[in-house]
Amino acid sequence: MIEVRDLVKVFDTRGQVVRAVDNVSTNVAKGEVLVVLGPSGSGKSTFLRCLNGLEEFDSGSVSIDGLQLADPKTDINAYRREVGMVFQHFNLFPHMTVLENLCLAQKVVRKRGQKDSEAKAMALLEKVGIAQKAREYPSRLSGGQQQRVAIARALAMDPKVMLFDEPTSALDPEMVGEVLDVMKNLAVEGMTMVCVTHEMGFAREVADRVLFFDHGKLLEDASPTEFFNAPKDPRAQAFLRQVL
Amino acid sequence: MKQKKAQWPWHVLTVLVLVGLAGALYYATSLMSYEWRWNRVPQYFAYQAEETQRATDISTVSELVRQGGSAQVTLRNDAGDEQHLTVDENSLQFAQGDDVAEGDVVGVTRHWAAGPLLWGLWTTLWLSLVSGVLGLLIGLATGLCRLSSNPTLRDLSTIYVELVRGTPLLVQIFIFYFFIGTVMNLSREFAGIAALSLFTGAYVAEIIRSGVQSIARGQNEAARSLGLSAGQSMRHVVLPQAFKRVLPPLAGQFISLVKDTSLVSVIAITELLKSGREVITTSFSPFEILFCVAGLYLLINLPLSKIASRLERRLAQSD
Ligand SMILES: Nc1ncnc2c1ncn2[C@@H]1O[C@H](COP(=O)(O)OP(=O)(O)OP(=O)(O)O)[C@@H](O)[C@H]1O
Ligand SMILES: [Mg+2]
Repeated sequence: MIEVRDLVKVFDTRGQVVRAVDNVSTNVAKGEVLVVLGPSGSGKSTFLRCLNGLEEFDSGSVSIDGLQLADPKTDINAYRREVGMVFQHFNLFPHMTVLENLCLAQKVVRKRGQKDSEAKAMALLEKVGIAQKAREYPSRLSGGQQQRVAIARALAMDPKVMLFDEPTSALDPEMVGEVLDVMKNLAVEGMTMVCVTHEMGFAREVADRVLFFDHGKLLEDASPTEFFNAPKDPRAQAFLRQVL
Repeated sequence: MKQKKAQWPWHVLTVLVLVGLAGALYYATSLMSYEWRWNRVPQYFAYQAEETQRATDISTVSELVRQGGSAQVTLRNDAGDEQHLTVDENSLQFAQGDDVAEGDVVGVTRHWAAGPLLWGLWTTLWLSLVSGVLGLLIGLATGLCRLSSNPTLRDLSTIYVELVRGTPLLVQIFIFYFFIGTVMNLSREFAGIAALSLFTGAYVAEIIRSGVQSIARGQNEAARSLGLSAGQSMRHVVLPQAFKRVLPPLAGQFISLVKDTSLVSVIAITELLKSGREVITTSFSPFEILFCVAGLYLLINLPLSKIASRLERRLAQSD
């Protein structure tokens, strides 16, 4: 479903060249859940952001269901409709209520009517367990609630793929569980997901495959059992010794 | 525990200080034997204008009806033609049956008319309003150009902003007056509005630009990742949030604009200040008139800042 070929992203800040994603190729099948691991600065976020074009890559290709991201004929906005993204800091729109957050893109991008948008929004809020907060502004919600709203907002566009960039890293520990539960349910329902996370439990339990990055390079692409029990790359072994 | 101290003695002190200042001013003017004549001032706001009513032909007063302070006069000439006039009763010059010569004053009608200060206030108001709206539109467009990815748009908008901000408004007004006035042959009001709105536009552009840039990048990224185009993200997500932040500086800019309209008096637009100066030449009461002029500017600007702070509070409800 997702095809990544020879992806390269170089950051050049005043002569300081960083190969943030260095020649990465991988495939994600429909319904598959990928967990991306790696030390800080290894290029996980950059890789994820390349998948929906938030970061313009330098060479290689990314496609979803045959739709080429870098093709000038591709409408980037049409492409992004199919790819939901959840951010570390939620990025809810603070000037809108929870319900309006969920309805905006449905109305503006999907051209759904007010009624349909709201019905869809309420159904999703129900699903992530915060329907009673629909009329509140995001600032009144806890971090965990905000992140669940953010997930619902992305789902409202009926995406084919969901990308998660450390969705629980900015949360107080007691709220991590509620967000992971929502993600687990999504995985069970068969959503195709790529998750950057430091939650090793989630990776073991939910992931179909684990990708390990370091210095922009994809060093391991293995099943969770293989990766956690017998990592091949020495840097992956060192990483696991540190986090486990 | 923090003790709550009474505030009112301090407010009393404030009043005492103000009274003291007013007294000092009065004393200073009395030293230069200035005579305060506030009673002369009201007529420059509004006065009773008189309009004389004259007979158009040699005729006689054929009918005269007095009614509630006014008199309806009917004049008939030899040919039997009638002229009907209505005048104030106490100004009536003729009685029933009197002969009237051509051009004779039959009486006057009186009505309230706005004095020069009110006219000046009105001119200042509409100059501010028109320049403010235009300045806002220009500033919005320019501010977005400053943030554009197109280098030409960016360069042009930067040049415009720097040129306008780096030169005195007074010089700009003269340039516009001579350019628009002589080359394009348009009215001085047009030149004044053009100068004021371009001046305001440059400052508004900077306010908008910094407001948009103050919105976290993640907001735009979240909108774009949902499939909104750059324009849709700007319109629905970034600008509404930026607007809330730029409201206080924008209000300040409009308050400045109202005051800056006084500068167009140099190209002979009779706005509030110029009206005041004209009144001074006939009334010989410079202090009274200038205080009134200052008070009228305050009358516009105080509600303006009140509205701005109320809007600000309304928008803050989502915080
Ligand atoms: N906008 C940018 N400009 C310049 N360099 C960047 C930019 N974004 C990321 N980088 C660099 O690219 C490399 C990869 O960064 P990235 O954010 O993808 O890492 P990460 O694996 O997500 O790290 P973390 O776990 O801390 O989030 C880092 O060296 C970072 O400094
Ligand atoms: Mg990251």
